[in-house]
Amino acid sequence: MFFKLVFRNSKRNRKENGLFFGALLVSVIAFYIVLSLSRQDVMIFLARMESDAVDRLMDIIPVFYGLTLFLLFFLIYYASRFQLERRRHEFGVYLMFGMRRVKLFAMLLAEDFRNSMISLAIGLPAAVLLSELISLITARLVGIGIVGHQVSFSPQAAIWTAAGFLLIKFVAFLILSGRISRQTIGALMAWPPAGVKRQMPPFVYAVAAVAGILSLAAAYVMIVFGDAWYDIMRMGITLLLGTAGTWTLFFGMRFLIGLAVRSGKHDRRLHVFHFRQIQETVIQRSGTLAVCSLLMLSALTCFGAGVAISRFYGESEPHVLDYTFDGSLNGDTPAQIRQKLAAHQLETEFLELFEMRVGYIRTAKDFDHAFAMEPLMTALRQRKPSRERDVLLNNLSYAMYPHIISLSGYNRLLAAAELPALALGEEEAAIYMDREFTDAKRLELLNDILKTSPKASLDGAEITLTGSVQTTKLVTDRSITLSFALILADEMFEYYTQGDYDVYLDGILAERESENGGLMAAISEMNQKLNEAGVPYESYLQNMGRQLFYMVASSYITMYLAIIFLMIANTVIGVQFLMNQQQTSRRYRTLIRLGASHDVLCGSSRRQINWYFGLPIVVAVCSSIFGVHALLTGILSSRSRGSLPEMMIVSFAMILAMCVVEYFYIAAVKRASDRYLLTLMVPEREE
Amino acid sequence: MEPILEIESLKKYYGKSKNLTKALDGITFQVMPGEFLGIMGSSGSGKTTLLNCIATVVWPDAGSIAMNGKQIQKLAGAALADYRGKEIGYLFQNFELLDNLTGYENIMLPLSLHGVPEQEGRQRLEQLAAYLEIIDVLHKFPAQMSGGQKQRIAAARSLILRPGVILADEPTGALDSKNAKTLMEKLLGLNQEEQATILMVTHDCNAASYCRRILFIQDGVIFHELRRNIPDESGQEFYARILQVMAQLGGGSANVL
Repeated sequence: MFFKLVFRNSKRNRKENGLFFGALLVSVIAFYIVLSLSRQDVMIFLARMESDAVDRLMDIIPVFYGLTLFLLFFLIYYASRFQLERRRHEFGVYLMFGMRRVKLFAMLLAEDFRNSMISLAIGLPAAVLLSELISLITARLVGIGIVGHQVSFSPQAAIWTAAGFLLIKFVAFLILSGRISRQTIGALMAWPPAGVKRQMPPFVYAVAAVAGILSLAAAYVMIVFGDAWYDIMRMGITLLLGTAGTWTLFFGMRFLIGLAVRSGKHDRRLHVFHFRQIQETVIQRSGTLAVCSLLMLSALTCFGAGVAISRFYGESEPHVLDYTFDGSLNGDTPAQIRQKLAAHQLETEFLELFEMRVGYIRTAKDFDHAFAMEPLMTALRQRKPSRERDVLLNNLSYAMYPHIISLSGYNRLLAAAELPALALGEEEAAIYMDREFTDAKRLELLNDILKTSPKASLDGAEITLTGSVQTTKLVTDRSITLSFALILADEMFEYYTQGDYDVYLDGILAERESENGGLMAAISEMNQKLNEAGVPYESYLQNMGRQLFYMVASSYITMYLAIIFLMIANTVIGVQFLMNQQQTSRRYRTLIRLGASHDVLCGSSRRQINWYFGLPIVVAVCSSIFGVHALLTGILSSRSRGSLPEMMIVSFAMILAMCVVEYFYIAAVKRASDRYLLTLMVPEREE
Repeated sequence: MEPILEIESLKKYYGKSKNLTKALDGITFQVMPGEFLGIMGSSGSGKTTLLNCIATVVWPDAGSIAMNGKQIQKLAGAALADYRGKEIGYLFQNFELLDNLTGYENIMLPLSLHGVPEQEGRQRLEQLAAYLEIIDVLHKFPAQMSGGQKQRIAAARSLILRPGVILADEPTGALDSKNAKTLMEKLLGLNQEEQATILMVTHDCNAASYCRRILFIQDGVIFHELRRNIPDESGQEFYARILQVMAQLGGGSANVL
């Protein structure tokens, strides 16, 4: 009988509180994914390239695990409390019929354990599958191809997942069952009256609402004007204003809802009823709603900023070169490098091996006036004032002693990139700028001026700047960048460099697809051969690794936190609404007696859900716009701050995407509510 | 005069085979406009099931219910909601006021439910509030009212849309005798002055003595009927007759005078 009761009760709990059960599953999945991160393809790949950085990331995984445990403990505690509170009467009946408290405790523990095991039984395989999927998708997305996909299942992660999950469930259960067991049978069997809470005079709430709005506005202003990052003190004040503002706004919100009850279209069906319902829940749970709103804000900010940052790092340039051999590292000339490659039968593995020559204007004595392009600068100054124009004017004013690049090597590069060759006549030069120092708008502005073929002076000689600004990377190493250089025809290059220049041997693999996988595998194999041959090199893989690390680290961490925060906030709000609906079921039954159809009830309940979710979401979305701004301005380096407007747009798009996720969650809660209301349509026998 | 409500061979069974309970087993009666009809019977006799069938809260297994000549079993959708809201008014034993709505908002609830503009009901509300003496509590929440005030708010709610019939389910069940007397006097006043038709289920003989006619139900069938001789019979005398029938209810039909 005991086990039958346990079996039935745990089944009923899962059915009646599907949202909570869903949250348990997500908890299991979250634990596993964070713990199995080191087994992901991307991480295995990165560990080879950037082992120090990856090790450091892996070192903070236990911190994330601990943080996740801590956060999910509250979710589980809160939702379990709702579930147990709802069954108080039932517990009272058990005790009334002589069940010993120890047995009741054992029964609840067995129910809890059963549901936990079911969550693990479903959650763990789902987590393994999802982790595998993430591993494959990220690998594909970041272009690793398949370095050799490895199954990411980690038994250690699975054990820790189960242990952590069971631990927080057990601790929450102990605290909650302790609270229940201390109560008398009478207290358990009495239904707690719904909607009873001491109220303060309305002006208190009005003042709170206004104070909340003002605090939030002050925090927003501090963020926009950059005060938030000025020093720790001001950052603390901004955070305090934002948090306290959200809290007091929700506390005072009952006043705003009260206004909505009195005003608005009273003739709308159940207008007053549903606003009173919302008001009551806001009165009873303003603190919870404020916390949920802050959690949503954290989720939106993490997601918005995280995706924008990872997109910034992930914005890959066209992939042209696979290898660069820099002879200067060990004093080899390009010819010697070629010989070494040939000696190890490696030369044939390259489709292209060409020299990229880069040097300085050695003919110039006065380094501060080796180059000048006054007509271009004048044309730029005459352009419509804009941020792009000012940045260009500033950057180009330093281009007095630029690097120079030989045309033949650069044209080989363009050919490899399948771009049209550059034709430069006598006394002509093209401008080269690395992508890191420019963007589409600046390029457009500069190219527009270059159409007029402005004159420039190169070591006293007049030259014409022609063509469009060149941006194709000269070598594979991403850390070698040229903010401004001139491309010159080979004779001019030889003259100005006086034969004193650096030569980089650029290589493109003949077969970019390895038998074992994609490009990355091909480069990995070649790296091994080059290491054996003792040829120093810089490969596309290393640069890709650096870029990937930033991308993966920023996106994984922020998205993971965003999902956890959002899930907690949504589950708490959803579970709270549905439980409250069940607690006030008598009201719905009265409405049914008064002639309310299922449609009318569902309509009212759906509006309540919209408001109930909408209030914290709207506050969170408003704050998140400023939150993202604060995060981006605080975290980004000054160089990448130039892309702030673009990144803000990406963040807004991500915030909107999260709102779509919210929409689906709200729809799920609405469906659950509709189903519950349908059960109320069947009258209870009261005789 | 045509009857406002006609019940014909109404049956409602619960359960199956061995566990079959005949809550209503072929009940037939009529209610005339402006009538104050009481339904009495012991617990489990089928009184509330009868009321629930008329209120369309449960559907009968057989028989028919006609309100103003319309078969209510055939109603569906908007017509059914209109019937519930506009043709019948329901007065509950436990008031069933929504505790998060003020008295005013509770009374206006049926208007809101049935899409009637609030303006249309305001005059009626003022009139009812004055008559039922609830003006002072209109803007209070149920928790701040006495039981009698709550039930009078509930009465105003059931009358706000001027329904054809008021179905009262043990309206004095949760009231003390003083408040019960006040409520019954008010209902009687509404019946006499506004010709409100009231169908009241009760097992309180005092409350039943305000009715003009009483049907006694036992085991799902009409077992006896009492009519008050107006104006010759006083409330006291009618009450005595009701008590007599109630005393004999346990002994079967052979004991009824």
